[in-house]
Amino acid sequence: MHVNYWNELKKDKFGRKGLYMVAALGIAAVGAGWLAPHDPFAYVAPPLSAPSLTHPLGTNEVGQDICSELLYGARTTLLIGTVAALFSTLFSLLIGLTAGIFRGWVERLLLRLVDVLLVIPVFLLALLVAAYVQPGRLTLIVLFTVLLWPPGSRIIWSQVISLRNQGHVAAARHFGAGTGYLAFRHLVPELYPLLVVNFIQVVRRAVFMEAGMAFIGVFDPAQKSWGIMLHYARDFMFTDAWMWWLLPPALAISFTIIAFALIGYALETALDPRLRRQSYAGNK
Amino acid sequence: MRKRLGDYILAFLIIIMLNFFLPRLMPGDAISALYGDALMEMSPQTEAYLLERYGLDKPLGEQFGLYISNLAQGDLGYSYYFRAPVGQVLVGALPWTLSLIAISLLISALAGIIWGVEAAWRRGRKFDRASLVTIMLLNGVPGFVLGILLLLIFGFYMPWFPISGGASPYMDYSGWEQLWDYLQHLFLPALTLTLVQLPRNFMLMRSSLLAVKEKPYIYTARNKGLRDRMVRYRHAARSALAPVITRLGMSIGLLFTSVLFVEIIFAYPGLGNLFYLALQHHDYPTIHGCLLLITVCVLLFNLLADLLNQKIDPRLRELDARQLLERA
Repeated sequence: MHVNYWNELKKDKFGRKGLYMVAALGIAAVGAGWLAPHDPFAYVAPPLSAPSLTHPLGTNEVGQDICSELLYGARTTLLIGTVAALFSTLFSLLIGLTAGIFRGWVERLLLRLVDVLLVIPVFLLALLVAAYVQPGRLTLIVLFTVLLWPPGSRIIWSQVISLRNQGHVAAARHFGAGTGYLAFRHLVPELYPLLVVNFIQVVRRAVFMEAGMAFIGVFDPAQKSWGIMLHYARDFMFTDAWMWWLLPPALAISFTIIAFALIGYALETALDPRLRRQSYAGNK
Repeated sequence: MRKRLGDYILAFLIIIMLNFFLPRLMPGDAISALYGDALMEMSPQTEAYLLERYGLDKPLGEQFGLYISNLAQGDLGYSYYFRAPVGQVLVGALPWTLSLIAISLLISALAGIIWGVEAAWRRGRKFDRASLVTIMLLNGVPGFVLGILLLLIFGFYMPWFPISGGASPYMDYSGWEQLWDYLQHLFLPALTLTLVQLPRNFMLMRSSLLAVKEKPYIYTARNKGLRDRMVRYRHAARSALAPVITRLGMSIGLLFTSVLFVEIIFAYPGLGNLFYLALQHHDYPTIHGCLLLITVCVLLFNLLADLLNQKIDPRLRELDARQLLERA
C-alpha cells in the first residue's frame, strides 16, 4: 500500500477542489477573530435587522451579527469534527491493532464488541445521551469519539490481518521483533492511508451529527454553531430573513460536508486499485 | 447466523441499560430526572403513585427488575405533556412514520435504479457526468437543509402543498377526498426523504451495473440482435440488482434517522415529531419511549435485512465493515 496519497489527492480533480474548500473553511475558522465584523455574542444592533454595510447578513432575533456568528460557527464545526475524528481514528487504530496482533480470545472479544456496537444507531444514541446533558464542545467531542470508532477498527483489523502474512512482516517476526516494534515499525506506517481515509469520513459524520443535533434543539446555548443558527432561524423562516439567516448556515454545512466528501472520494480512488482502474479506464 | 442474532440481542440490551441508567445516574433523585418540570404541577398523590408504581425510591437492582417487567408489558410510563400513557402516544404516531418510510424507500429505490442504469449505460458521456455531479451535490446537502428548502419553495413561495401536519384538521372528508388530503400532506416529506436516499441508490446501481456491463452474456444478448432496452433491463440490470437490494435493506436503519428531521420540519405527526415535541417540553418518559421504539425498529429492520440478504446472497455471511458504516 505504498501510495503517495498527498500527490494522488493533488492530482485528482475532485481532491483538489476538496482541498481548496477545506482550506477556505480553515481560514474562516482560524481567522474568525479578525474576519468577523463584530463579537458574535454582543448585542450590536436592533434584532432582526436586514443586511446592511455594517451587518452584511443582518442580525438575529436578539440583535447579534449573523455574519460573525457564521464565521465563529466554522470554528465550532471544524474543531468538533477534526478533534473527534482524530481521537476516534486513534481509538480505531488501537482496537484494530490489538485485535490483529494478539489474535486468540482478545481478537474474538474485541471483534464481537465491534459487531454489537455496529448495529446500534449512532445518531439516536447521541440524542439519548444529549437529552440529559446540554452538550458543550467537550461533551460532543467525547460523545462522537466514543460512538464513531467501531467501523474504522474493523477496517484496520482486516488490513492488519492481511499485512501480518506478508513477507517483510513475517520476516521481522521470525527475526525476533517484539510486538511493539512490529506494530509501530512495520504495521502502523502501512496503515497511514487507511487512517487518513477513516479520519476524513469521521469528520464528515461528526459535522453532520453536530449540526443535526443542534438543529433538533440539543445544544449548549452558550456556543455558536451553524446547527444552532439553523435551529433559531427556523422560527423566522417565513419572513424574508431566511435568505440571510437560514440559507448561509445551511450552505456552510453543505459546503463542509461536500468538501470532505470530495477529499474522501479522491483518496478512496487513489487507494483502491479497482476503483482507480475504473475511473481512468477508457470510455467504453 | 446465531451469532448475528446474538449481536442484535446484545445491542438491544445495551440500549435498554442506557435508557435505564442514564436518568438514574444524573444528580438528584430519579423521579425528577425522569419527570422533570412535570413534577412542579403534580399533586403529592400523583408523585407518590409514580414512586410506588415505578419503584423510583427503591434500590437500583429492584428498580431495574420493575423497569424490565413494565417494559415487557408495554408500560413506558406516563406522558405529562400529552396526558396519556407513553405507549398509547407512540402507537398513534408509528403508522405515520412507517408509511412515510415505506413510500420513500420504494420511490427512491425505483428512481435510483433506473437513473443508475441509464447513467452506467452511458458511462463517461455527458449524461453520466452530469448525473454524477448532481448526485454528489445532492449527497452533500443534509436532509434537514433539503427539507427546509423544499418547504420554502413548494409550500410557501409556490403554495402547492400544505406546509405542516399529516392531514387537514377539522375537515370532514370522506373516502377519496380523505385519501387525497393525506397524499397532499405526504408529498413534501416523502419527496425530501426520497431525495436524501437517492444518491446512495444511484451510486450503488451505477457501480453494480458497470461491473456487469462488460460480461460476455451482455455481448451475446446484444449481438443476437435484441433491442437495446431489452439488453439493458432484462439482461444487465436484472443481474446487477442483487447487491443493490441487499444494501437497500441495510439503509432502512439510516432512514429512521433521516425521518426524524423530515418529520420535525414538516410537523408530520410521526415518531420524529413526537420526539421533538417531547424534547421541547422536557417530557422525558416520551423522549425515552420514542428513542427506544425507534432503535428497536432500526434493530428489527436491520436484522430482517441481514436474514433476507443471506437468503439472497450466501457470500454475505461475513458482512464487511464498509457496508455497516453506511447504515449507522
